[in-house]
Formats: sequence, C-alpha cells, structure tokens
Amino acid sequence: MVALAIAGPLLYPVDPFDMVGQPSVPPGGEQVLGTDVAGRDMLAGLIHGGRVSLLIGFMASLAATLVGLVLGAVAGYYGGRIDDLIMRTTEFFLTIPSFVLAVVLVAIFSPTILHITVAIAVVSWPSVARLARAEFLAHRDREYVQGCRAIGMPDREIILLQILPNALPPVIVVSSLMVATAILTESGLSFLGLGDPNQVSWGYMIGVARSVLRTAWWMAAIPGAMIVVTVLAINLVGEGLNDALNPRLKQR
Amino acid sequence: MTIRTVSRAFAIAVIALGAALPAAAQKKGGTLTYTFHPEPTAMSTISTTAVPVSLVASKIYESLLEYEGPGMKPLPGLAESWTVSKDNLAYTFKLRKGVTWHDGKPFTSADVKFSIEKVVTPFHSRGKTYFGQVSAIETPDAHTVVFRLKSPVPYFLRDFQASESPIMPMHGFTADEIKEGKFRSAKIMQAPVGTGPFKLKEWKKGSHVILERHPGYWKAGKPYLDQVVLRVIPDGAARAIAIEKGEVDLAPMSALPPAEAQRLGKLPAITASQDGNEGLGPIMWLEVNNRSKPLADVAVRQAISLAIDRKRLVDVIWYGQGKPASGPIVSGNPNHFDRKLKPLEYNVDKANKLLDAAGYKRGKDGVRFKLTQNFLPYGEEWVRQAEFIKQELRKVGIAVETQSLDMGGWLKRIYTDWNYDFTSNFTHNYPDPTIGVQRAFISTNIKRGATFSNSMDYANEKLDALFVKAAQTADGPARNKVWEEIQAILRNDLPVIFLMEISYTHVWNKRVHGLITNGVSMYSNWDSVWVD
Amino acid sequence: MRGGTVRFVLRRLAQLVPVVLAIAALNFALAKLAPGDAADILAGQMGHATLEFTEQLRREFGLDLPILEQFLAYMGRTARLDLGISLIQQQPVAELIADRLPATLLLMVTALVLAIATGVALGVAAARRQGTWVDNLISVSALLVYATPAFWLGLMLIVFFSIRLDLLPSGGMMRIGVAQTALGQVLDVARHLILPAATLGLFYAAVYARLMRASMLEVYGLDFITTARAKGLSEGTIAWTHALRNALLPVVTLAGMQVGHLLGGSVLIETVFGWPGLGRLVFDALVQRDLNLLLGILFVSSIVVVLVNLAVDLVYGFLDPRITHK
Repeated sequence: MVALAIAGPLLYPVDPFDMVGQPSVPPGGEQVLGTDVAGRDMLAGLIHGGRVSLLIGFMASLAATLVGLVLGAVAGYYGGRIDDLIMRTTEFFLTIPSFVLAVVLVAIFSPTILHITVAIAVVSWPSVARLARAEFLAHRDREYVQGCRAIGMPDREIILLQILPNALPPVIVVSSLMVATAILTESGLSFLGLGDPNQVSWGYMIGVARSVLRTAWWMAAIPGAMIVVTVLAINLVGEGLNDALNPRLKQR
Repeated sequence: MTIRTVSRAFAIAVIALGAALPAAAQKKGGTLTYTFHPEPTAMSTISTTAVPVSLVASKIYESLLEYEGPGMKPLPGLAESWTVSKDNLAYTFKLRKGVTWHDGKPFTSADVKFSIEKVVTPFHSRGKTYFGQVSAIETPDAHTVVFRLKSPVPYFLRDFQASESPIMPMHGFTADEIKEGKFRSAKIMQAPVGTGPFKLKEWKKGSHVILERHPGYWKAGKPYLDQVVLRVIPDGAARAIAIEKGEVDLAPMSALPPAEAQRLGKLPAITASQDGNEGLGPIMWLEVNNRSKPLADVAVRQAISLAIDRKRLVDVIWYGQGKPASGPIVSGNPNHFDRKLKPLEYNVDKANKLLDAAGYKRGKDGVRFKLTQNFLPYGEEWVRQAEFIKQELRKVGIAVETQSLDMGGWLKRIYTDWNYDFTSNFTHNYPDPTIGVQRAFISTNIKRGATFSNSMDYANEKLDALFVKAAQTADGPARNKVWEEIQAILRNDLPVIFLMEISYTHVWNKRVHGLITNGVSMYSNWDSVWVD
Repeated sequence: MRGGTVRFVLRRLAQLVPVVLAIAALNFALAKLAPGDAADILAGQMGHATLEFTEQLRREFGLDLPILEQFLAYMGRTARLDLGISLIQQQPVAELIADRLPATLLLMVTALVLAIATGVALGVAAARRQGTWVDNLISVSALLVYATPAFWLGLMLIVFFSIRLDLLPSGGMMRIGVAQTALGQVLDVARHLILPAATLGLFYAAVYARLMRASMLEVYGLDFITTARAKGLSEGTIAWTHALRNALLPVVTLAGMQVGHLLGGSVLIETVFGWPGLGRLVFDALVQRDLNLLLGILFVSSIVVVLVNLAVDLVYGFLDPRITHK
C-alpha cells in the first residue's frame, strides 16, 4: 500500500483534479474505476488520495509521539510540580472531545495539509504522554538509573541514553496504532469538507460522492474500502509489533 | 437547460392563464406548505433581510406599491395612485381608504411617514440607498403622503417592495422602543401586525410557522389560500424527499441542493423554475485584485475570461442552476440589460495567444505564472467551482493554488487586507443597477474595510462619470444608453471575470398555481396563489 | 459509604471548575486567533454596510475594548452560561444547543447500550469458545469493523437498507407533516434511530468485544473461578455471574473514557443521517463558519464528557464493592 502510494503517480500519471470524462461514469469504461461527479478519474484520485492520507497519518502520529514522549519523559522522570502540571494538561486535553477539537482547529486555521497534521497531532499526543510517563516513572528508581546518577551522569543523558531505549517499545506500538486513527480522523475531516482544497484524499472523495449516493453508490464505496484495507493493515502491523516488542507477552 | 425552457413556458402560461381566465378557475381555500432552512429569526425585514425572513415577512407586511412582471412595473398597493412632479423631486401618493391592520386599527399616512423615516431608512440594510435622497416626508392629510427629494432618484418607484420598505404600524411599537431607537429588538419583530393578506397564527421555533388569512384584507376575495405554512427541515436531502413525496408544496430560493433540484424538476408532478428573480438579479464573478502584478494587465484578465468554459461550469458544477454571464447586469433584467450582448467567449487558443503576445512565456513546466485563489465559503458547490477554475486556468499555463478561508477570514483578506489574487464572489443587481452594480465598480467605493465594495482597486474616470449620470437620469431610453456604455466598458476591461448568472431555483408541486408574478416572486404576498 | 459518595461527588464537581475555566480560556484564545471578527461577518451579511456601520457594530459588541477587558467579559458571560449569539442564526448559542442536545443524547445512549450489549455478549461467547471457529470469526469481524470509518459504513448501510431494500428511512429523526398518535411517534423515531445508532454502535461493539474477550480470559485464570469450578457450579453460571462482573470493569472504564470519542463520532454520523442533533449543528456551523456556535458546542460537549466520567466512577463503585470513594 505504501509502495503503491509512493510509486502510483509515476505508474498512473493522471491529475486527479482533471476533468477527463463525463461526470458519474460507472467503473469498467475508459477510466478503470469510472469518474466522479465532476468527471474526474477515480483511479487517479485513489492513488493521489492514498499519498495524502498516509502522509498525514504518519506525520501526525510522528509529531504526536515526539511531543508525547518528551512531555511524558519529563513528567515521569522529574515528578513533583512539573509532573502535576503536565498531567493536568494531559487530562484537560483528554476531556475535550478530540474530533470536535480537531474540527474547530482546522476550521479556524484554514485547511492545509500542515494544519490538518498539526490538529491531529494536537488531539493525539496525550495518550502517548500518559504511557511514556508511566514507563519513565517505573524506570527512574531502578538500580541502573540510580547507578548512572551516582556516577554523576547528567539528567539529559540518563533520559535519552539509558531509560529511553527501555521505555520505547510500548510507545512504538501505541504510535503505530495511532497512524490508523490519524488516517480515520483525516478522512472524517475531509468528509466534512475540511480537507486541503489542493489535495485529493480518500475522505474527500467519499464526501464528494455523498450527494449522488442514490444513483452512484460505488463512487463512495471504493475509496471507503481503501481506507478499511489500509487501516486494517496498519493495525495488524501494530499488533505484530506488540507481539514482538512486549516482553510480558514474550514470557507467556 | 431543459428545466429552464419548460419552466419559462409554464410560467408564461400561468401568467397568461391568470390574466385571461375568470376568477372562477382559481380555487379558494387550502394550504400552501413551503420549506426552508434556516428558520426565520424574526417576522420583519427590519431585523434582517436574510432570505428566510424576507420570505415570511413579505406575506404579512405590505408597502405602498405592488409590482408586475420581470420588469417590475409598479401597480397600486397601499397607495391607490401617485403623481411625480416635473422635476422628479416630489412624489405624491394617495393612500387607499378603509385599510386596517391585523389588529383592526386603521392605516393612515402617519404610519407611512413613521415607517420610512424612523424605521426603514435607518435600520433596513438598504434603507439609506433607497431613501438617502429624501429631504422631507409630508402628510397633508390622513391619506396623502409626499416625498421630497434632494436630487432625482431614477429607481424611486421601485423602492416600495414589501420586503424592502415594509409599512409598519406606529402603534405597534412601545414609547420606549421608539424613544431609544430599539427597533431591531422590538417586540413587534416577533409578534407582527401588518396589513398584508396573511397574519401570524402560530410560530413553533425550530419546527414551523403558520400564517392564516387576514379576513379584513382590503382586496375583495383575496387571498385565495386559507393558510401558508413554513416547515423548517434542516437537511437538504430531506427537503428534497418531502417535495418528492408531496408532503411539502414548495421549496423556494434554492432551498434544495442543486443536484436534487435538477433531478426533481424532471418528475411529471413537479416544476423547477429559475424565473421570478429578475428583480434580485443574482450574479457571480471572479473578483480580481487589480493591484496584483500580472492581473493588473487587462490582457491577462481577458485571457482568464477566455479560458473558462462557463457552460460546463453551469451544467456540471451547478447542475444547470443558472446561465453563463454576459456582463455586470443579468440578462433577465428587461429594463437595463443590453440585449445585443452574448455570453462571454470561451476560447482556449485565443487565451494562450493573448498571453503569449503579452509576454508571459511558459516555463519548462508549462507554467507562465502562479496565482492564489480564494472562494466564497458558502458550501460545497463553491469548493467544486474553485477546483474547476484551477483546472481551466492550468490549460493556459496559469498555476493556481487554492486557499480555503472561513467567512471572517475571507472578508478580512478581500476587503480589509486587499491581499488576494482572485476569489469567487456573489452579489445582486437588485431592482436597479445603480443600487447593485455601481457600488462594486465605482472608484469612490475603494474603501478599506467596507465589505462588498470595490476591492479590486479598479478606477476608471470615464466609468465613474457614467455611473453618476445613470444615477441622475430618469429611467428610459436615454438612461439605457448609459447602461449600455457601462456594460461595454466592464465587459472589455474585466475588472472582475463575470462567470454566471447564478439562479435561485424554486421547486414546486404542480398543484400550486400563480407563484411567478414578478421579479421578486418569492418575496411577493401570494394573495393570488391558489392550490388544486 | 453514602456520605462518602456524596462527598466524592461534591469534590469531583469542584474539580470541574478549573476544567471549565480552562476550556473557556481556550475558546477565547481560539476565537481571537481566527481572522476577522463578528462585526465584519455581520456587516458582510448585510451587503450594503458602510464602514461606519461596521465600527458601530464593533462598539456594540465590545470588540473595541482592550483584550484583557474582553477576556474578563467573556469569562463572565461563560460563567453565566451565556455562550454568545450565533453569528449566522442570530439566536443565543445556548438555546440552539439546548434544542439539539436531547437528540444527540438519545443517539449516543442508544448506540452505547447497543455497543456494550453486543460487545459483551460476543466477547463472552468468544472467550468461552477460545480457539474455535466462533472465536476466530468474532475476532476477525471485530478487527475489520475496527478499521472501517463509521461515516462510510453509515453511507453503505443507507445504500443497502434505504435505497436498495427501501426498508428503513435514509435520514432525519421523524416523518414530518403526518398526524400520528403518541405511540406512532415513538415507533417512528425508533425506526429512524435504527441505522444511525447501529452505525455508531458497531465500532464500539467491536472494541468492547475484543476487550471483553481478553478480560474474560484473564479472569478465567484467577483462583476464585477455579474454586467455583471445584464447587461444581455450571460453566454457564460461572461465566455469567462470577466472571462477567469482574471482567466488566475494564469495559466500563473504557466506555467512560470514550464518551468524548463517541461524541466526536456522532458529529459524523449525524451529518450522514441528517439526525437533528449537536453533530448536525457542528456541521451547519462549520459550513457557515459560525465560530461562536462551534466554540459553544466544544464547550458543552466537554462538559458532557466530564459529567459522564463522573457517572462512570459511580457505576464503577457499584460494580466493584471493593472500591470506595475516599
């Protein structure tokens, strides 16, 4: 899927916004998957849309993971006041319905790929922060950490070089699953008309097809199926990572 | 296009029938149910002139005159007759006697003076445009009103529409409301008292409004209908289903999504019509920032105009809800539109040659230059249209980046920051081009922060002089000559790229008759509408 | 215990205050970050507004005051639950939301009940037949549903049940313009509720089924189940009484945590089905870029989440008597 999204535009160089044919042509004709309401090639849309969906999914969860990891690490390692502050903030963000907040953020800051990515990251980081904090909290009083402190290693080195490698596996699992959630969120936003107007995405295609659902159901069905397959694949990868990285499960 | 032809023929037939047949053919009684969303926020256009309010208030309140046909020929209304002085500076109206308000009190000239002077002029959103030139309103007796003007206003007799200059009862406002000028929030905005054929019976917020016949209405035998009901249905698809199933009789003013209006218009029991809007004259264009480098060049603007297939835009993006534009004045305006004009040309080759000749060479990637476009945040079709424009301009080597803004952001960028290349925009001619057209193009209206003004920085002395002349010449052939000149200049200079005469589509069940009567048919009082 | 519960509730409500204030502050910041202000927008709507008119509106709205003063005024208004006026609909935001909230709650509660019932039943069934084809079928279906965008699933259900089979209405909450008895009205709403509630509930049913299965398997490994088996209790009794009660705890926790998520999901589902709830309102506000309304909805939905979490904590105590509210 990733390979297809990257190489697709080279293999199938049709502009997804170009109105190549009659509107609402069913699949099987000159355009393999038919055309949408404005006569644009569906296949081209699927391929370009995949790029956008995956790009946003990966970038948003990467950003959320970084922010969550940093804040979680600081909170877990130092504890005390700063822990309180970060955890209250985390809880606050968990209180606000994340999709509604994402909608408001994108609506206010105008929909561009960057803003959508940031908005999804803003609503996603708290769960990483929570997890990272728990891990760092568990590790900070272990003997090896105390040993490092005893030899005068600065905090930054302890966090980055000593605890991080141990705390990372569960975080990686969570953030890989987050890619799937981010893709779903992005598709929801585009469906509501909050996509980048210069980019096709799968959610956007479903949104466009909605007005002709009565007469051309396949126009919404195909991009939706793509989302299902992609998200399923990412979830399976995430579970695989979990099995491989989670030591508790390994022991069983 | 077929909808249009059929509906036009139908509308003409209806008008002809209405005129030719004896009253017996028109059935008395029954209910007309229409649907719209959002629901009205008040029962008077003094509060706001938004479409849902104008729809319902125009049945309750009347003005001095009524209008006939797309040209808006004035007919007697609350005023039985009128005379105009030779110098066009005094209008004397003789008011109808025996007219009563919905609460039974008599209607007099004091109500007219109060309404125009104290309510309409300061508070109606177009009040100053209509009555800004009035120096005095005199009431020599209870049934005579004289308007004295500072300078002639050629469209003065078109000012007296029910939704534009509603006559309100002076006794309907409390002393406090009048003293403190609290008209917009006055109690009467929610509990109306008018002279119109219908009065408010029930208003269940979020659900429906029921208007019932005013038994003391001054026109004998009218209205035909017993009730006019508004049902608020929030979802566009659900409104369409309600029409399809016959649960609702009428969806006025593009209440249905364009795709649904087109689909339903083909059903045998339903009519979809774009007539009856000539007095509003809705028009859509690409507003172009003439300060922006390549766009300051008239050849570039002409090339952009040539590059856009307006027919395809109308058919594919708007499902036929409109027609290609010919210039600043809509072709449905029988008084001022220059009938010799054809829709603006579509010719990609010519556009490319123009750009080549003007020195904008294509780069290696085939791009001559880049522009940013914005679009009016009014919904899905506007996004689709922006996508369409982007593709069209790419064919002539103009790369377009689309930027999406909300209403606040859009207004600020276009009218305060003046920081844009081009954007879709939508406005009305209103009953006279001096009202609707002048303000967008006259150079005195280049004002930072003024919404829907001349944001293009387009200044043309000759055109300015013509606008001033048109505003002071009495309506007629001489004035039309001036408008012809204005249309020719704007078509050639293209300070904006005129795209299409976007249409309000009205969809109704064929059991309803007599809806299309003039250029503001949906804002008329429907006293002659009847149902089978 | 009773007094403890009351004190617990009061303390939790007190904790609400800073959260509410923080949300209001966030809203204010967002509103100020958005370009253009209410005066611009209103004047823009009136078409012919002059510059002087816009300035007059700005003064009326207090938008010409220093930002700190505006902030204090905003917080004061919010404290009185005055969420301002909808820019487009010209009605108080609080009223608009109050009109729509019941429909959203009806949809959410139905979906949640549906999801928990289905999820728990399937989870228990899968756990009891661990490793069989039943288990596999349930697990695979759950994974598949988990990967499906709910709004798309809704569209597909409309295509199938409303357009193809013409069995169920494709949208709305009730038929309009038809005289009905009280019972008829209830049935009518129920018919309209089936598809949206099923669409919204299905995703969570999948989540709960997976969680329930894992949780049941864990409980089965505990000592007291072995004891119960030794006492000769039937497998059915063990599963539905002893194991279930304990295995439910994580499901209830998760359900509570996901209320915000559910609300977000209902925004999409209500849009798909034209359900006249808050989600529709979000969509309308979005299309018309009605910022006051959007922020008001964000505010109210956050409050709903906080209150539901409080309720979940109370249910928690009921399910697990070992937990007391200190």
